[in-house]
Amino acid sequence: MVAVTVDTEREAARTPSPIASVSVALCTYQGAPWLPDFLGSLQAQRRLPDELVVQDDGSTDDTLAILESFARTAPFAVRVEVNERRLGSTSNFERALERTTGDFVALADQDDIWYPEKLERLVGVLLEDPILTLTFSDADLLDPSGRPLGRRLWGQRGIRHVLVTRQIVPGARFAQRALTTGCTMVGRRRAIEAALPFPDSLNDPVAPMRHDRWLSLVAAAVGTVRSMPEPLLGFRVHPDQQTGVLTTTELAKRLLAAAVAATRNPPPEARAAHLARARQIDAAAERADRFGDFDEADDLRGVAAHHRTRADLGRTVPARVRTVWRELRLHRYDPSVLGTAAAAADLVRALRPTPAALPS
Amino acid sequence: MSVLRRTRVLHATDTLEVGGAERVAVDIVNSLDRRHHEPFFCATRGDGPLRDVLLPDVEVSILGRRATWDAAGMLRFARFVDARDIDVIHTHGRGTLQFVALCRRLGLISTAHVYHDHYGHLHLDRRASTGLRSALHTVDDYLGVDGRLCTWAREDVGLPASRVHLVRSGVDLTRFDGVEPIDLRAAFDLHGVEMVLVMVANYRRQKDHPTVFRALAELDPAVRARLAVVTVGSTESEPGFFDRCWAMAQDLGVTEQIRVAGGRDDTLRLMAGADAGLLASKNETGPLVVLEYMASGIPFIATDTGEITRAVAGLPIGATPPPRDAHQLAAALHELLDAGPAERAAMGARGRQVAADLFDQRQVTRQIEQIYHQILTKTPATPRPDHASLTPAGRFDR
Repeated sequence: MVAVTVDTEREAARTPSPIASVSVALCTYQGAPWLPDFLGSLQAQRRLPDELVVQDDGSTDDTLAILESFARTAPFAVRVEVNERRLGSTSNFERALERTTGDFVALADQDDIWYPEKLERLVGVLLEDPILTLTFSDADLLDPSGRPLGRRLWGQRGIRHVLVTRQIVPGARFAQRALTTGCTMVGRRRAIEAALPFPDSLNDPVAPMRHDRWLSLVAAAVGTVRSMPEPLLGFRVHPDQQTGVLTTTELAKRLLAAAVAATRNPPPEARAAHLARARQIDAAAERADRFGDFDEADDLRGVAAHHRTRADLGRTVPARVRTVWRELRLHRYDPSVLGTAAAAADLVRALRPTPAALPS
Repeated sequence: MSVLRRTRVLHATDTLEVGGAERVAVDIVNSLDRRHHEPFFCATRGDGPLRDVLLPDVEVSILGRRATWDAAGMLRFARFVDARDIDVIHTHGRGTLQFVALCRRLGLISTAHVYHDHYGHLHLDRRASTGLRSALHTVDDYLGVDGRLCTWAREDVGLPASRVHLVRSGVDLTRFDGVEPIDLRAAFDLHGVEMVLVMVANYRRQKDHPTVFRALAELDPAVRARLAVVTVGSTESEPGFFDRCWAMAQDLGVTEQIRVAGGRDDTLRLMAGADAGLLASKNETGPLVVLEYMASGIPFIATDTGEITRAVAGLPIGATPPPRDAHQLAAALHELLDAGPAERAAMGARGRQVAADLFDQRQVTRQIEQIYHQILTKTPATPRPDHASLTPAGRFDR
């Protein structure tokens, strides 16, 4: 399935720490324009990784040549594998994570620029507290040429308040909403092992769940996930990226579209999307159960049940209103503007005189 | 001519019920150097069985407050502090901290205030509410039983490093002298088992029994058959948790290796009769039970969480695998089993010596007395030039 193109092993010029090893899992695809900046920032880390594991999804530009050149001089091992067929971002990261060997694993995107203290800071937090399974930071947003936009990732996504005040993020919050971005994360080996292999349900065509949300969901279910409010990298925003952020305008457009959709009969894929999300969250609950995290598993099953409920609100207006009210009372909607919008949309649908159950 | 009088220290907790923070408070009070200190104790909410553990010379006040804003409780507390002319108030627990801080803010008392933080759920909640943050900023010094708490106090709460001190918990070794061991093999039908471990932990999520069961399941069956774990602690602390743990143990096929002793009042005797101690907690700040294993003269396997395991990690007295890691816990069990009875006994003896060298309650209390002295000699609001003097305070923050 894969062809190995580069595999270098060398003694790290600056061996960072004898007590813990760090892998960086990098997924690439047509990354030539951005890759030199990223690799340069990786090489400038105050705490160097012990290995860079690259999974290329069949690039046809200069990506592999850049990686080969980097591997020749890198002060750490560089292992590149090329997929024979395109896997897509989530499966590509799954494959990369399977190949990592470090005690800690940092995820990387090809188009970002890491600040020199990124690995040192995030790994340091995990080293200080063994109960933490994963930690992630904020990021500064950059334009395509790498110039700062003067905004932060969390602020742009409307999640800064919750992540700054809580810091410890329970699994149910990740089940309700994607709060993490892969390139900001470092996970402990046991969190990676708990998350692998990825369940097939992540690749549901109607409602896929990205690798970073799955990882943080499982890491929180079987341990503790901590957010670090400081920005530790530059996150490039450009049209080609697969893991972009919504601009304020795009977010407003989506909310408007959701509001309009609420007044109409829901499309068939809306029901399928809720059921797919429920299956994904159930898969995380199963991992938590396997590790003996029974309460966390129950919390996740509660969120999965919420999605199943939203897939079928009821046959009559009173039944549907009761259902929405119960879900509100149980705080099962995401406590953010998006969750409020979802609850409002469900209420509008519930009040419509025509049968509003999502079509099966 | 000034008259020397002893420093009057008031320890305040919520209750005198049996709990980690309350136990630490009682141990400190009992071991304060009576030549220089006169101890008092105040349970701001209610009484409890630890009252019987306090030495007879300790005057105890049960305040019976109902809330932080209990005005009558505050007045009673202020009168007590004033009437006894208390020099230092040493609080344990966030409820009592906020109560005393409020008394100070309202001007009811102006006594020096030391807060001793034992909070064990930092891994679940790092938030500092406005009330807590405000209270913490009023204290003269902050004592954290765990380095992570000290980091949190400095970085998240913003206390100056000079007022934050790491003070590890201690153990009164005399409690373990002359304890008659219980024969665990006879008591729990474990005849022929090579190594019997005791796990003193109520069945609660935090104590993570499931990782122990997963570790047992990872062992080769022939190896597994050579050891057993006696769990000591309530099975009803968290409804349903024990049942789900036991169902998991059944699914994993390890119930033969587990005995459930339930809550017992002869824990020290059970420890003394064990070949080793076990603790698999997800998170701890102490944990005191590891000190008790060491004081009992048995080796231990305890997850690397909390200041005590951190302090002894790497010493040939036990193993400290990471929390939640069944692989490494299984490896530690196998290694201790293969060490044999003679080496285990030697490890236990070394552990007892380490407990005496590093964690003897009297040493810990001397550190705390130095902090009192430092506060009293630097705080203009509570000048006590006529106090019996101790040696200058050391600094324990890191």
